[in-house]
Amino acid sequence: MPGPLEALQEMLGEAFRREAPVAEDPGLAARCAEHVKGNDRLTPAEQVDLYRRQFWMRHLGSLEEDYPGLRALLGAAAFEAFCRAYLQAHPPASFTLRDLGDDIVTFAEGHAGFPEGQEALCRELVRYEHAFIDVLDGAEPPPLDPARLAVMTEEDWGTARVVLHPLLRRFRLAYPVHEIRDAARAGSALPEVTLKAVCLLLFRRDLTMRWMEVDPLALTLLDALARGVPLLPACELCAAGLSEEETAQLGERVQGWFAHWASSGLIVNVAHIAPQDAVEALGGEVVPH
Amino acid sequence: MSPSEKPRLGLPDLGVGVGLRRKHHEHILTNRPAVDWFEIISENYMVPGGRPMVTLDRVLGLDYRLIQHGVSLCIGGSEPLDRDYLRRLKELVRRTRTPWVSDHLCWTRAHGVDLHDLLPLPYTEEALRHVAGRARMVQDTLEVPLLLENVSSYLTYTASTMTEWEFLSGVVEEADCGLLLDVNNIYVSGYNHGFDGATYVDAIPAHRVVQIHLAGHTNYGKYIIDTHSDPVIEPVWELYRRACARLGPVSTLIEWDEDIPSFEALLAEADKARAIRDEVERARAA
Repeated sequence: MPGPLEALQEMLGEAFRREAPVAEDPGLAARCAEHVKGNDRLTPAEQVDLYRRQFWMRHLGSLEEDYPGLRALLGAAAFEAFCRAYLQAHPPASFTLRDLGDDIVTFAEGHAGFPEGQEALCRELVRYEHAFIDVLDGAEPPPLDPARLAVMTEEDWGTARVVLHPLLRRFRLAYPVHEIRDAARAGSALPEVTLKAVCLLLFRRDLTMRWMEVDPLALTLLDALARGVPLLPACELCAAGLSEEETAQLGERVQGWFAHWASSGLIVNVAHIAPQDAVEALGGEVVPH
Repeated sequence: MSPSEKPRLGLPDLGVGVGLRRKHHEHILTNRPAVDWFEIISENYMVPGGRPMVTLDRVLGLDYRLIQHGVSLCIGGSEPLDRDYLRRLKELVRRTRTPWVSDHLCWTRAHGVDLHDLLPLPYTEEALRHVAGRARMVQDTLEVPLLLENVSSYLTYTASTMTEWEFLSGVVEEADCGLLLDVNNIYVSGYNHGFDGATYVDAIPAHRVVQIHLAGHTNYGKYIIDTHSDPVIEPVWELYRRACARLGPVSTLIEWDEDIPSFEALLAEADKARAIRDEVERARAA
């Protein structure tokens, strides 16, 4: 049985989260009047409404800041409707507004209110914009020590694990959603977005968020490296299905990618791992090399 | 005289500070302006890394004094204290070396939902004992003095059996903690609920006031909202003058969180506070 303080806070907590003014619910207005005094200028329900309005203003404002692309795509009214539905389904649970969108990707997957024909685009955009939150203030690992690379022999690469930056996010997108977010943040007109497969990396460098479009094969390689597959077996995984000519060119392409990723800070370490661990990273599949 | 009986609980008067806000980071790091101290919102720096933490370390590296002020402690909540929150807060305390930590005498969450607002408590014996017990626990955990701040409120409760200042005084005495007196909040709540701010200032336990807040607000006629979006208004300066006369020199902070002005304009507001403090001190000494 909750004490008076707990019961009061529970009752008001629910009232503050209502979408409609308290006075529209006579039962709730009566309960508010039992506990809230009111004055000669405002009724108890109106006083509670001051907090209710602030609840929505604060949380809608926070989501607007975190998902500017989606807001621009949907328009203010539809975006607000989406956010209100989300906040009703997933009320703020964390002390920090930073975590407000913790469940938004899952919610968007099941949300039926996106404009017809744009459902997949909206969901991809939510997923992309949500990734910014962790990357923006994640912990920075020490940068790659060039000396680590200098001592690597060809044989070492067979079992060496390339450690990617923990804040690197990899996307295989059906739409160029990064262009929507960029335009929205710049206050520009949104680009005409049509189906166009994009492989995208999102990362932070010098405290600034950046994205990089990459070749699909490069993303396959990064996916394998992220799973802990050593570089050479990862390259062999990439080579599967390539023509003889493409396979012959792969080494040179990987070298170029690797150099670019290293200089962009996306590789933070190269670590030796035991051969058995390398096999596990391949999902138990032994790749001859 | 025990620490609890000394003025400001024996804690230092730091002069007049301003809030460290993102808009001014670059200016501060580039120009290193003379500022007595900065107040940070603790929660903005309870993150693993990125720009907030780099900026924090750079500001600390310039030897500025930082004081932590929080908004999410939920000292008046009915749920157990958030241990993870306290752990992260304590980590930040170690990093900033803040001599005290402050938060609001309010509740912010209920029934698993964080409302992210500073919600007033009913002024009852039950709430007083509840909050004081939690404040003791927080203070023991953080190992630095805790100050509780009076909030601006837009409603009062039928259950209250005492005035806000009686409740505030009772909590800080029973918890043996400090008081952050927000003079603007006194004015706002006095306007909203029809009490006299001077009575409030005269009634609080003077020796427990370790810090003062000043800010602007927005008057909607029927009520005032504490928006921190404007300069301090004259009646609030008058209340501040009264507080200085009663309390002596106390660390004072100008809060400005919406429509944030240039850093120079913010410092001009701090200079006004300093001038009042100095004037009152001269009068006391004469």
